[in-house]
Amino acid sequence: MSPALIHCPKCQAELMPQAFNQGTFGPCPACNALLQIEIFPALFRRPEAGRAGELILTEGEASCFYHPQKKAVQPCEGCGRFLCALCDCEHQGQHLCPSCLETGRTKGKIKSLESKRTRYDRLAFTLALLPFLLIYFTIITAPITLYIVLRYWKSPLGLTQRSRSKLVLAAVIASLQIAGWAALLIALLTR
Amino acid sequence: MAEPEYIKLTSPRQRGGFAVVSACRSSLWLGPDHLLSVESEGYTESYKRFYFRDIQAITMRKTGRIVVLALVSGCLSGLCGIVALAWDAIEAKWVFGILAGIFAVPFVLNLLYGPTCACQLRTAVQTEDLPSLGRVRRVEKILTRLRPLIAEAQGQLSAEAIPPPFPQPGPAPTPTPTIGEAPTPGIAEEPPRLS
Repeated sequence: MSPALIHCPKCQAELMPQAFNQGTFGPCPACNALLQIEIFPALFRRPEAGRAGELILTEGEASCFYHPQKKAVQPCEGCGRFLCALCDCEHQGQHLCPSCLETGRTKGKIKSLESKRTRYDRLAFTLALLPFLLIYFTIITAPITLYIVLRYWKSPLGLTQRSRSKLVLAAVIASLQIAGWAALLIALLTR
Repeated sequence: MAEPEYIKLTSPRQRGGFAVVSACRSSLWLGPDHLLSVESEGYTESYKRFYFRDIQAITMRKTGRIVVLALVSGCLSGLCGIVALAWDAIEAKWVFGILAGIFAVPFVLNLLYGPTCACQLRTAVQTEDLPSLGRVRRVEKILTRLRPLIAEAQGQLSAEAIPPPFPQPGPAPTPTPTIGEAPTPGIAEEPPRLS
């Protein structure tokens, strides 16, 4: 195990372990930047060795869907395909094949793998409010806002967001804008 | 699968140190078994999860941003204050007085928030900047909150687990005496010491 495990974030010099978990700032021996370093047991944990999968030795043994020459150890909980130890991806207690894992990630079915979301509520809210700077744009943006609100009402919120208040507010503002335009149109027609 | 409940640890903060108007904002949230870093870019959010079992180290480096912020806001506030005092017209006194007050707010807040820092989080495969953690006091509060959660996931770090600052000098190899030569006394008993 190397005694220098952490590098200075400023000069990348190796830091000696006496600087760790001191609870106060201490200078980097190379650049004098004041550093406080908190380390945890995972720093000393050895990486787990990967599993390669066993070869089929006797005829009639179930084989992996992706590697026919290797012994199946688990069925995929997503698609039911037999998997060898190499293809068996364990995620939050579920055994999945790489294909199901990828599908779950891209389609947002596995929430803990999701890495990006569009905030339609923010988009609708901006679209409802921004044209107030130039009121004539609301004739276009108000219907678009309402469309976004209705179209994406069921789409997932941001991971840290708990309510659809912005969507509701955007819908109310857009409805008021449309009502205003309708009233203006009726007033012009009936004059 | 139900989405986990997150607790806000830091408010969204611009990624750039001095960016006043920036679409990219970063915030930190506490999940049931992980930290969630949210990078918000306009209408999209990207997420990075740091599971407690994987966090190897958190590094804090003190920065001089507090001084720069204090100098900029203090100078602007002082300048406006001087102009307000020097100008005779009452309207100008009001305008520059209000401006001095406006600039004094970030000056005071900056001093109240305390020293600034740059924070990094390290796992086995990445070292990530945490731009939302920009104040030492905030980081220390969050660390106090995180320590028991990480200890629960990883166990306690014993003092023996941290390697010594320098490699421990092992017993020096005994030189093989050549035939006919007497062995040098004391070499095997007294290993060389590193100062």
